[in-house]
Amino acid sequence: MRRQPYNEIWETIGLDSRETKLRAGLSRFLDSHWRPGAEASELVHVPGGASRETWRFKARTDGEDRGMILRIDPETSLIDTDRRTEYRAMEAAFKSGLPVPEALYLVEDLRWLDRPFSISAEVPGCQTSAEAFPPQHLGKIGQQKWTLLGQIAALDPIALGLGDVMPATSVGTCAMEQLDYWANVIDEDSLHPYPVAQAAIRWLRRHPPPPAQKLALVHGDFRSGNFLYLPDGEIRAILDWEMAHMGDPLEDLAWSLDPLWSWVTPGLAGRLLPHKEAVRHWEAGSGITLDIEAFRWWQVFAALKGLGIWISSSEDFHFGGSQTPILALAGWLMTDRHQQILVDYLSPSSPHRYLRDVK
Amino acid sequence: MIPRGAEAIGRLAQRITNDLIPKAPDAYTIADLGLITALLGMIAQDFDRAADLLVSQHEAVCPILREAAARMAGSDLASRIEATLAQAPTSLRISDLSARSDATLRLMIEAHAAVEVAADAGANWAKRLDEAIWRFLEAQTAAEAYQVAPLTTDQTSG
Repeated sequence: MRRQPYNEIWETIGLDSRETKLRAGLSRFLDSHWRPGAEASELVHVPGGASRETWRFKARTDGEDRGMILRIDPETSLIDTDRRTEYRAMEAAFKSGLPVPEALYLVEDLRWLDRPFSISAEVPGCQTSAEAFPPQHLGKIGQQKWTLLGQIAALDPIALGLGDVMPATSVGTCAMEQLDYWANVIDEDSLHPYPVAQAAIRWLRRHPPPPAQKLALVHGDFRSGNFLYLPDGEIRAILDWEMAHMGDPLEDLAWSLDPLWSWVTPGLAGRLLPHKEAVRHWEAGSGITLDIEAFRWWQVFAALKGLGIWISSSEDFHFGGSQTPILALAGWLMTDRHQQILVDYLSPSSPHRYLRDVK
Repeated sequence: MIPRGAEAIGRLAQRITNDLIPKAPDAYTIADLGLITALLGMIAQDFDRAADLLVSQHEAVCPILREAAARMAGSDLASRIEATLAQAPTSLRISDLSARSDATLRLMIEAHAAVEVAADAGANWAKRLDEAIWRFLEAQTAAEAYQVAPLTTDQTSG
């Protein structure tokens, strides 16, 4: 006797699976907004990317078949972000000629999927995994990665029209505003006291950086694992713009060089290049000369911001907003590692094994 | 004898890795099960070491807090330190030891901030105490570090 698949059983008794509900809602949306009669098919839930629920699917009509990516607001996530900021930043970067998935729809009307969502074009044939970087293309990927980050830093966010979706800031205040934001996240979301985080916050307040050399578009989470690349090492798309904002371009550079992203290959920034080479490519792409003293502040800030993200994810998991295991793992393991990094940076007796020469 | 604690958790993780992940229907479920396995490994470590960590931490933080209280004698912070250190934990359960740890670490955060101000003002005792606090934080952070297999960037992504 043929066993009835679970999704058919659910549909029979009226309890549709998540995929079935999404397919139906998306098909109605595509029919209304893309092509009459269009349907969504081949939905695949994409792992990773804990800030949004991500699905790959085909939008299909008689004459056209297009790969798309659906990003749905979660009930809770690692990062409390603004979907409109993410969408507009992607749109602006795409129009500027950077490799970014084409933003297609931003939908805040709940009637389609019960939650807000966005749809972008799929970039086929790629992957994101840093573990799968082709060894023979590390230099090529690294050069593109930091040149692209420099090119993001070279953009003028006001001229791109992002001033109406991103909080206003200035070269003189952006650093302390970011610190205030993340210090507040840590204060509000800490389930336990974090003496290392509090010491770092005090250090950052006592040693303010010089004003930013320019006000730039800051990606906010630019690192290995957040871009799509082809097997030949060509970077095709920069992903995960949900923390984009205006600020000091050194914020992105410091985050991209954070030791967490090269935990298993400490000599290679982001598992790709020696740190000095990465900075050289960034300087070439941005036209900015690195200020080492200012960068030191942003290095400490990057580790604190990481800690803030992980502490926040622990809080989400603890209070049951989400049972997604990545929240718990981030909360435990990444908190642990970023505390080690901060202690290494700040302790008077530390050997500073995570501080790399960048110039 | 049945397996207990860390050993039992380790066996559950093995069961997921060896039997359930190969049968998982899609990449998303495989990733989720992989994360749960990694978490179980960390829970197993905590099951075995939590009491030792919390008791050792308390023994290490007490002299620091006592010296801070002595240097700031008469202050509200010194009074609260003395009152907290005079209390015994309600029990030796991890939850009670954790509550005691939270209370002492909160005081240490306040003490550290006050010590930094005194050190910036040139007090030699404060510089020595600041160094002692950092040594404590270094040792504590190292002791709490989890031993885990390398994770993928997908597993660490935000």
